[in-house]
Amino acid sequence: MTERLRTTLGELLTSTTGKVGVAFLSVMVLISIYALTANPVDFGDRLWNNPAAWADNPKNVPPAWTGLFHGSRRVNHSVLEAIAPAETRLSTRFVERVYALDVDFPYDEAPTFTSFSLEEAVYQQRPPSVTVSVTRPDGRTVNLYRLVAPAPRENEPSPYRRYESTPFRVHLTGEPSVAGEVSAFLQDDFGMSDQSGSLVGRVDDAVFGVPDAASETGFRPLQGAYRILVTARFQDENDYIGRVRFVVGGSQFGLMGTDSLGRDLARGLVFGFPVALTIGLITAIMATGIGTTMGIISGYTGGKTDIGIQRFSDVLSNIPLLPILLFLAFILGQKLWIVIVILILFGWPGMTIVIRSMVLQVRSGQLVEASTALGASRWRIMLRHIFPQMAPFVFAQMIFFTPAAILAEAGLSFLGLGDPSIPTWGQILDQGFRTGAVYVGYWWWVFPPGLLIVVTALTFVLIALGMERVVDPRLRTVRQ
Amino acid sequence: MSLLEVTDLTLHYATREDPVRAVDGVSFRLERGQALGVVGESGSGKTSLSLALMRLLPSNATGYGGSVMLDGQEVMALSDDEFRRQVRWRKLSMVFQGAQNSLNPVLRVGHQVAEPLMLENGARKAQARERVLSLFDLVRLPREVADRYPHELSGGMKQRVMIAMSLVLDPALVVLDEPTSALDVSIQAQMMNLLKDLKRDLGISFIFITHDIALASDLCDRIAVVYAGQMVEIGSADDALTQPSHPYTQLLLGSIPRLAADEPPQFIPGAPPDLTGPPSGCRFHPRCPYVFEPCDRDDPPLAAAREGHEARCWLLATEK
Amino acid sequence: MTIAKTLAIRGATLVGVLFAVLVMVVVTLGATGFSDRMLTAIVNEEVRGLRQGLAQTIRDADELEAALRDHRQELEASYGLDRAWYLRLPQMIGRVIRLDLGEARTLKTADGSSSITALLRERLPRTMMLVTTASFITAGFGLFFGVKLATRVGSRLDRVASLFAATSNALPAWWAGILLILLTYVILSTFGVRVFPPGGMYSAPPPEGGIPRLLDLMWHAALPVITLVLISVGSWTYVVRTMVMNTAQEDFVTVARAKGLPEGTVMRSHILRVAAPPILTGLILGLASSVGGAILTETVFNWPGMGRLYYDAILSVDESVVVALTFMFTLIYVSARFTLEVLYIVVDPRVRYS
Repeated sequence: MTERLRTTLGELLTSTTGKVGVAFLSVMVLISIYALTANPVDFGDRLWNNPAAWADNPKNVPPAWTGLFHGSRRVNHSVLEAIAPAETRLSTRFVERVYALDVDFPYDEAPTFTSFSLEEAVYQQRPPSVTVSVTRPDGRTVNLYRLVAPAPRENEPSPYRRYESTPFRVHLTGEPSVAGEVSAFLQDDFGMSDQSGSLVGRVDDAVFGVPDAASETGFRPLQGAYRILVTARFQDENDYIGRVRFVVGGSQFGLMGTDSLGRDLARGLVFGFPVALTIGLITAIMATGIGTTMGIISGYTGGKTDIGIQRFSDVLSNIPLLPILLFLAFILGQKLWIVIVILILFGWPGMTIVIRSMVLQVRSGQLVEASTALGASRWRIMLRHIFPQMAPFVFAQMIFFTPAAILAEAGLSFLGLGDPSIPTWGQILDQGFRTGAVYVGYWWWVFPPGLLIVVTALTFVLIALGMERVVDPRLRTVRQ
Repeated sequence: MSLLEVTDLTLHYATREDPVRAVDGVSFRLERGQALGVVGESGSGKTSLSLALMRLLPSNATGYGGSVMLDGQEVMALSDDEFRRQVRWRKLSMVFQGAQNSLNPVLRVGHQVAEPLMLENGARKAQARERVLSLFDLVRLPREVADRYPHELSGGMKQRVMIAMSLVLDPALVVLDEPTSALDVSIQAQMMNLLKDLKRDLGISFIFITHDIALASDLCDRIAVVYAGQMVEIGSADDALTQPSHPYTQLLLGSIPRLAADEPPQFIPGAPPDLTGPPSGCRFHPRCPYVFEPCDRDDPPLAAAREGHEARCWLLATEK
Repeated sequence: MTIAKTLAIRGATLVGVLFAVLVMVVVTLGATGFSDRMLTAIVNEEVRGLRQGLAQTIRDADELEAALRDHRQELEASYGLDRAWYLRLPQMIGRVIRLDLGEARTLKTADGSSSITALLRERLPRTMMLVTTASFITAGFGLFFGVKLATRVGSRLDRVASLFAATSNALPAWWAGILLILLTYVILSTFGVRVFPPGGMYSAPPPEGGIPRLLDLMWHAALPVITLVLISVGSWTYVVRTMVMNTAQEDFVTVARAKGLPEGTVMRSHILRVAAPPILTGLILGLASSVGGAILTETVFNWPGMGRLYYDAILSVDESVVVALTFMFTLIYVSARFTLEVLYIVVDPRVRYS
């Protein structure tokens, strides 16, 4: 049998379709290994479906590389962080630590948002104050935000720790106090009237630009080097803050862009590889395994067993899959393993019917007759003499079955019945569809997952086609 | 004028390597009302010869040429469409090997027999049916068979249908390609009698292709033996059977088991040659017991052994 | 075997399919407690109706409650709620067959009815329209090109077509639909032309008059139909090609040529006539996936047929509608299958008598 399989694989690698298929599959396996080692197992629950994990990402922006084809320069997403102060000023009454975050801003538009986060603040007696300001290329400085850590609670022992497990985070763009500060800046430096109310949500236009009546937003982006200064003032020398972070929200992001929650689509897509392969292969192996076993038993044993198995498979294989799959997933709950079990349940009978007819041909063959005459047991004959003759066909069918399972799961996910704890390509597409991304042209959200599904399915189809010649010798004469 | 005069007919098939020389310069003639038996092992190119005559070429056919004078007309000069309209079935029809697969499984056999009639003769349905039924009488088939489907017929009945079908347009010549080899011996005998009757009563000429030289001699006036795409011996049926001149024919006859003979049947050593690269010189020389000096070098010419009997052998060619 | 017996066996299998689906649905509903929920909802509905009626005649509040409690018990008994779920399986199966599943929770027909039968009666023709149109186009296209390809097997065109077939087979209906919507969006944003609407069945408001309305309908149906054709035409063409190619190698085709029949006749009355049954088998096998294709395509294009109804029922967690639709889709599939089986027997005499 191993020899038969080896010739099958040999033949597979001589055909172009087979070669392409195997190459694609190898790449997919490598990506899967990477995805599983680079991500936690509970990627879905802990990261993908946790909005907090993606808060600092821009929403609904295209991949970064699309900037190359875009006329004006779009903002690259940048996350600026510091843990050590650039400067420490001591005075008699307090200690001041200044954290400097530099960012180059050569873009033709304002950031989509800005945010500031602070991780860990520890003080002995009086809560420290933290101010955030920006020094612009034109030398002007804008104060943005001021924060005082929460005061000690009653009976709380010193030192007081704040923002340890959940960092403090403020979305500067939408913060009214920031709008007020920026309005004051515009009044002082550019003589504009008070507009703090209307600035909420668009302060970045002003912070990263200069007033320009001709522009749509009322501001023209100001290119150059910006420095964000975070000044923390402590009463005690032993007080400190951990990490400061300033995010300049980009209008493009990463390899594959982001969705409406700011999720990095590239990570979701990469994680989709092992999931798709697992669904496809487990289902295919189990379904063909059960199908082959039942087929051999049915064909070789004959009699009532045969009729029983055949009637049963006939009925089961004639059930239209998707409506039943929908029903069962809907009623039994959205769990990936349930879906896999259902796919196996409805997948094996087709295989049984085909294998049985092949067994009937083989059973009357000389090899089997000779073994029977020599007194070999039924199980031995089935395992040693019948199965090996089916092996290449079974293997080809297994490959052929894999994309069907992947496509079925994808369809189910698309209809909103995917397992939410495990992100799949179908689910990413579903979310893109449901939030209307399709109708507004967010192609990076809906095109890649679909393409990956098709390419994965196609990979297995190509491999199966490459093996067809082994399985169906008639095709060997047709090639040119 | 002979009914059929074939000169230097060739048909090769293209493969990845060298072409298969299935029919390689075959020449013979056939008189009106006579039957020619074409005898050879499987793979000797005898079926290809019939396909070449009918111009039923596979898609990989190359090197199709030579001269075929049928009824005084050079049919090789006709275009495919002219050949189809003027020659196929009207002048030259065929009974194919394996009647099992020669009938369309989803059409009633009567319809299949009548098809050529309805095509361009413009025969009406009733006339066509009348003709089919009379042909069924002729080949001794019950008339109701006309309304049956092929899978309802036995092998022998199917073959009779095929024979009836071949006669529907009154051709002068019918090529019979192994018409009996798939049948039981008893049915085979009935079939041979039917063919003999048709030959005698209708004066039809036959080319009878078979691997069974004894069967051929039963029906045929002359016998041609083919080996590796070439005709190696041609002569009267009696002569070929009793006084074969080519060593291959002799061995072929020796390989037939005989009930009354003391000797066991002799096998021909070796295997038929690969037609992509046939042996140099005489194609039979690697298996020939009499092989001598010129055999592996030069192709022997067709030499007369007796009056009206020729063989392609150096033994004969050098005697002269 | 006679025609009747052949048909009876096929019919029995298909009835078996329907029955198996019914049992599976009802057992799943029962074992998971969903059937209790559904029936209780129906009882609640009826009790609510009764309360309004009885409130007219019975003034005393306690008396009213007592009367309602009695009625409720009667109703629960008649719906079998007082028995274990497996005891009322037959009754439940009958209920599903009659689509007697109460009312849809939030879904409504155009004229405001939330009865499940009314919903299905409204949606069914729309789905049928979509699917039959697409099937006819696919069949016609596939036959034409399949035959074309079979005559030039191994050519470059043939290889391109094989690749297309494999791709189309791997192309999920919904993604194809989404791509088409994206494409129309791109055309709209670059050229300012709306080639096809991204969804729905009529413009809002629908145009007046028969012909403009029909044209509007066709305009809206275009993308869903294209999607359905796109996902099935590749494999369909490939099936036709392979069947025609295999049949063309048969001996009787050579015989037909030898008889002097012109190529057209050989193709029509010999090759295609014989290839028809296996081609039909391909159609039968593809049927199940086209049912699924319809559900997904309708969802993508917001085509208000049964498929979209399925999606909406899932979103609004309406198990009665889901059950009714599961049954209806199986019923449609089984009926279509049976029609094809009959057709098969008509075209293949071997099945009739063998």
